[in-house]
Amino acid sequence: MTQPLLEVQDLHTVFATRDGTVKAVDGVSFELLAGETLGVVGESGCGKSVTALSIMRLQRPGRIVSGRVLLKGQDLTRMSEYEMREVRGREIAMIFQDPMTSLNPVYRVGWQVAEPTRLHHGWDKKRAMQSAINMLGKVGIPAPESRARDYPHQFSGGMRQRVMIAMGLTTTPEVLIADEPTTALDVTIQAQILELLRHVNREFGTATILITHNLGVVAGMCKRVVVMYAGRIVEAGPTKDVFAHPKHPYTWSLLRSIPRLDAEQHEPLKPIEGMPPNLVDLPSGCSFHPRCAFKVERCARDVPALLQVGESQRAACWVTQAGTELQGA
Amino acid sequence: MIGPSRVAELDMPAAGVETAAARPAQSYWNQSWERLRANRLGMAAGVLILVLAVIAVLAPVFSAVLTHYQPQTINLDQTFARPGATHLLGSDELGRDSLTRLIWGARVSLGVAFLTVALALTVGTTVGMVAGYYGGWIDDVLMRLVDTVLAIPAIFLFILMSILFRPNAVTLAAIVASVGWGSVARLVRGEVLSVKQRDFILATRSIGARDSRLMVRHLLPNVLPVLIVAASLGVGQIILIEAALDFLGLGIQPPTPSWGNMLTNAQSYFFHSGFLVAFPGITIFVTVLASNIFGNGVRDAFDPRLKG
Amino acid sequence: MLVRYVARRFLASLVVVLGVTLITLILMDRTRGTYVPGIDLNPSLRPEDIEHLRENLGLDRPFYVWYLTWLGSVLHGDFGHSMIDGSPVLSHILDRLPNTLELTATAIVIGVLVAVPLGVIGALRRGSKTDHALTVTSVAGFAVPQFWMGLMLILIFSVTLEQHGLPWLPSSGAFSAFNGGDFLDRVEHLVLPATVLSFFYTSQWSRFIRSSMLEVLSQDYIRTARAKGMSERRVVYLHGLRNALIPLITLIGLELPGLVSGGLVVEVVFGWPGIGKLAFERALQYDYTTVMGVTFFATLLVIAGNLLADLLYGALDPRIRYG
Repeated sequence: MTQPLLEVQDLHTVFATRDGTVKAVDGVSFELLAGETLGVVGESGCGKSVTALSIMRLQRPGRIVSGRVLLKGQDLTRMSEYEMREVRGREIAMIFQDPMTSLNPVYRVGWQVAEPTRLHHGWDKKRAMQSAINMLGKVGIPAPESRARDYPHQFSGGMRQRVMIAMGLTTTPEVLIADEPTTALDVTIQAQILELLRHVNREFGTATILITHNLGVVAGMCKRVVVMYAGRIVEAGPTKDVFAHPKHPYTWSLLRSIPRLDAEQHEPLKPIEGMPPNLVDLPSGCSFHPRCAFKVERCARDVPALLQVGESQRAACWVTQAGTELQGA
Repeated sequence: MIGPSRVAELDMPAAGVETAAARPAQSYWNQSWERLRANRLGMAAGVLILVLAVIAVLAPVFSAVLTHYQPQTINLDQTFARPGATHLLGSDELGRDSLTRLIWGARVSLGVAFLTVALALTVGTTVGMVAGYYGGWIDDVLMRLVDTVLAIPAIFLFILMSILFRPNAVTLAAIVASVGWGSVARLVRGEVLSVKQRDFILATRSIGARDSRLMVRHLLPNVLPVLIVAASLGVGQIILIEAALDFLGLGIQPPTPSWGNMLTNAQSYFFHSGFLVAFPGITIFVTVLASNIFGNGVRDAFDPRLKG
Repeated sequence: MLVRYVARRFLASLVVVLGVTLITLILMDRTRGTYVPGIDLNPSLRPEDIEHLRENLGLDRPFYVWYLTWLGSVLHGDFGHSMIDGSPVLSHILDRLPNTLELTATAIVIGVLVAVPLGVIGALRRGSKTDHALTVTSVAGFAVPQFWMGLMLILIFSVTLEQHGLPWLPSSGAFSAFNGGDFLDRVEHLVLPATVLSFFYTSQWSRFIRSSMLEVLSQDYIRTARAKGMSERRVVYLHGLRNALIPLITLIGLELPGLVSGGLVVEVVFGWPGIGKLAFERALQYDYTTVMGVTFFATLLVIAGNLLADLLYGALDPRIRYG
């Protein structure tokens, strides 16, 4: 098996709040191979963004308390801030959810897209700008040469997100982390951006981590998927398999709760019962057990580990690890 | 909030739900008061202002008890006495007791300040509400009026009005308020514009409430926090302005003592009696400081998000 | 578009100017019945002369005629004549204006130069002892009466130093009457009054910069900048401060009225020959016309200052320039 490009090993990130310590990332481990697309799925507050920020060491005011993040074998959590800056924007690039607020309003777009190459490759203004204009063209911005002189507010939301993607790719990083890149966009634009990300992945070979709460986005884009709940990974595996036969009750409930076009009109919706847990005061044992339709006694006692269930998937569930199939109305 | 009875229906363990129901609901005003109470420095400052106000109101009592002097009694063989037994904080060029004059001066300085704030708030709130609520040309006209008033440099206007009208304490308050109301109006209008958008205004209107009722019963309470903050912070600024006017000889005239006019002739005697310059200045400083700290405390209490 | 923005602001200013003229004259109406320029120095004016003068100025006409006459003369640069000696107010103003501007501009510059670093430090070291100390100083600075601070500074740096035979700073005037007038002399005279004038603004602006910086630093684009792997210094100063300064320009603009008039007290305490001191001196002599002329002129300065600030803001914020 090839050495993974990026390896997260038992990562723990916490936030100190007035009400207690929030375990935002509670023992997360996964791998990313070169050139592949990995989806990280979960509801708001499950820790997926904090995981990404932790990889970039941008998790402040949170603290990484334990675990390792290996990029080509080197532990990012042990690096000095100075070394980390070499990594950010050059080996790992990150784009964020809201393109409206993620670009600096007082600088021209071309300047902002050119900044990483000037900083990391030491290119002079002309060369960096030329490369930026090229990249803007590649992400589908028409008339890039003149558009580069415009300011962020002169672009639409979708265009701004393209600019963000261009900005991330100018240094040809090995990893691109996209944190909810389409959530703030119109549905029609969402599809375009996702297509762009797919294209980028194919053409540049950039390994992509796509973070989202939208299962549909994952289905279209990612070969493998990781499902998070309350700071932990509850299921992982090839997207096709996970969606076809989920091995964790949470994933199972999620998939079931999606309204279907071919359902009967008067069939009631099937939401997941209960509320997401309070991260300061997690339930004992499996964090999902209060809302789980399949729970047994052990679930309230012991925290399940993420183990192989079925051929290609891993799930952190006592019930499915014991062999039970998840079925229901 | 889901009560205990519903929990059974949903067949859910109560974990997350119970902790949420533990704290009782509190009104915004209660919460703000709690926050203010927790701010010890702010509360101390507020108490200080209160004490000063009491001293001002009961000036005759305090001066009778503490110093046994009248503020305007001239005693030419006790001029420039140093602070000591006979005159706790010394005496001025006419032998008048400093402490007594400071106590009575509180009446003027605080009195004018509070009156000014009251006037400016009343006029400013009315104008701001009407402008914000009705919008359209009424808003335009009123706001242009405010712009005009605010464009004239205040102190020039005060000087001009001072020589035109020869003010006493009440008219002085009116003069200072004649500029102050402008900022209040702008502030209130801004608040009204944002509150106006909210649905409960629409709902109240749809049940046929009269405009004035709407403004007083519904808009005003929402605007009050901003007004209270403006008032608390404004008192300090007005004390400074009024003291400056008195110092220049264009406000309260001697022999009536005010903290400002006790310093009018300071330059001529601060060689030998520096304390005469120090005490009124320190008094002004402490009062304004307390007002500012209290004002900041009030503002933080109403909107903790604004804290740095 | 920038042109539209400028035009709009200019028109609004014009409306305000007209409004101000109206207010000023309504106020002056109180004295209209009795004043005659020059009468104080020349009580022997014959009744016919007085009538003649009053007719010329439209003083005995209905208000609107007087108003228009006055407006007309202002447009010709005639801001009235002193009641003391009939001399044109405008010439007095122009004599003293450079001094006021010298004091004012220096105070603003000092204010900004001190406030920005203090504010940035406060924001970057938020919650630390330094930050608390700075906040306390700001809050205290806000409460000190300007005139009193002036007096105390004179007491310390002029009088006491001189008494002890140490080099001391001058306490009045813009330059020494004898052997003075050179650059160093002017600077010496400027030190104390400018310090007092800028003190208040430094206190206010440093807190403002601090909160503006804090707000900017919590924005998403700062996170993006960090994710691009640049040094923290670049993030804070190039990406952050640039945004945080924009509201400061508005604030400075809003303070311009205060600066033109707040200088008055400082000018009086330090004997600084500016338009503030002019207004004060003349006020003591009940020279209504001069005071009114100076007030109106100062207002024009304020309105112009606000317009300038609006334009600066427009120039700095690309969202307005290319909006």
